[in-house]
Amino acid sequence: MPNMTESEVFDQFAQIVAKSLRIDAAQISPDTHLTDLGAESLDLIEITMETETQFHIFLPDKSILETAVEVFGPGILEKDGYLTEEGKRLLLRRMPEADARAFAGDVSVKDLQSYFLKVVTWVRMIQGLAQYTPGQCAACGGPMAPSMGFRMKCSKCGHEITLRSGEEINREWVREYYDKEYRPQAEAPVSAAAVQ
Amino acid sequence: MNASGSMIYDSSVTQAWLPAAGPQGPWPESVCCQDALTCEPGLLADLILSPGEREHWGALRAVEKRRHEWLLGRFVAKQAVRLLLERNLDLHLAPTEIEIVPDPYGRPLVSVAPPVRAATMRERLQPSLSIAHSHGTAVALAVLDPAAWVGIDLESLTHRREDFEAIAFSPDERSLLAALPQDLHREWALRMWCAKEAVGKALGRGLGPGLQAFHITRADASSGLIEVELRGGALSQFPRFEGKSLIVSTARQSNFVFSAIIYQHYQNGAVRMRPSRQEILDYLLQKMGELTADWDYPDPVSAESLLFTELGFESLDAVVLCTAIQEHYQTPMPFAELLAEIGQQQRDLSIDELTDFVNTHLGGAAGADTTRRVQ
Repeated sequence: MPNMTESEVFDQFAQIVAKSLRIDAAQISPDTHLTDLGAESLDLIEITMETETQFHIFLPDKSILETAVEVFGPGILEKDGYLTEEGKRLLLRRMPEADARAFAGDVSVKDLQSYFLKVVTWVRMIQGLAQYTPGQCAACGGPMAPSMGFRMKCSKCGHEITLRSGEEINREWVREYYDKEYRPQAEAPVSAAAVQ
Repeated sequence: MNASGSMIYDSSVTQAWLPAAGPQGPWPESVCCQDALTCEPGLLADLILSPGEREHWGALRAVEKRRHEWLLGRFVAKQAVRLLLERNLDLHLAPTEIEIVPDPYGRPLVSVAPPVRAATMRERLQPSLSIAHSHGTAVALAVLDPAAWVGIDLESLTHRREDFEAIAFSPDERSLLAALPQDLHREWALRMWCAKEAVGKALGRGLGPGLQAFHITRADASSGLIEVELRGGALSQFPRFEGKSLIVSTARQSNFVFSAIIYQHYQNGAVRMRPSRQEILDYLLQKMGELTADWDYPDPVSAESLLFTELGFESLDAVVLCTAIQEHYQTPMPFAELLAEIGQQQRDLSIDELTDFVNTHLGGAAGADTTRRVQ
């Protein structure tokens, strides 16, 4: 569902969390951490599955930092458990809505994990991924409805599409960032010399 | 579970599921598991937490279940470390003297608080630790080897949807599950999940690299052993595991499924050369030099030096030295007995005699297969 507001996503997500953890949705605020609500690892899996079903999205199975480290290689974005300046730059570019203060000073991987467990981080991730789920058929403009597995089907003309996974979308974004923003800067002195 | 509603295990009674399967490792370990707070939480916090930990617990804004489990986790962790040090080093510590602080990746690090004379010695006494909690029960595994990678996990068999398997496992892993007897399906799905968690914890990054990065290649219903291969991000972080399996022990006890792995860093399958007596003496003299570098001695340390009366060792200093020796030679030695005997006879120990002791115990262990947990 594209075009959902952050508060609409929040309300629906809070219902999912409340049901899974058997708590009152009123206990949940954007700043709450899912683990502080009592969620265990398997609860997170359950919340993930229900979120995917309700929002017609595929959540990534690892954090944006893990995906980015796979593309960049070790030691560039994170060193000895702490984000480097390069790592902070990448995360703030990917999550421009994130509170820049959360990335000021020393940020450990542990701090970041706790950031990724905040309700608001999930809500924004869901909202972002929902942009990739079409509400209308590209072929005839008819309404799209979930079909088998993670496919969507037009209820008017039967046109079918496969949803893209959050992991795939993250990886594509990281590759583009690496090629267009990180590498040109990292290699700037060399290419400047080559031009002369 | 007994009538009081709580249970405490240690490794002597949990052999059924702890690393009993496979060759016994040379380093001692200790497990503690408990399913309820033993007293009112605020009181327990005062009794067992260090000032820093108490501050953390006080500031933890979380539902009661989470706050209780955090405290229970600290309780079992300290209990496991205490049992380990008592049994193997005859060292008796209060829970408040054992502080557990997470590293930047979130892995729990143990530091033992009583003042040890030199900073270099304090670092020696740092057992490896892993803690897990689920549905009001907490479990911890402590290993004396400071370099070991340990991971433990538990999950409750109740209140669980079946379909988590669709996300948690790859098609290959689901066919492993399907090959097991139908009545074991639910339990083994959880065992496989716990095995992934335990490996993630042992490597220090949890399941961060993604569930598919911890790939289960074998699940043996008769032994409870599960083999896990690293892939993707986990393998690029730990390339040494290319083509190798990490072996996790799993077991079921009442309504819980447990998993545990202890990975120790030995040269795989390499036959170690037995050191000569002179080499041992040289090592001990060098080690003593390092450990006591900031102490004031009128004379250099020699083979005849007496640890307690001449060098001013206290019992904890001796324990740290013994740990360092065992770590260096990757071989456990009955130091607790030696130190107890010296205490009883009220005599001292020379470096020469210590050399003989180490030499004797290395004699039996030379060339032994020290490979464990990894094929």
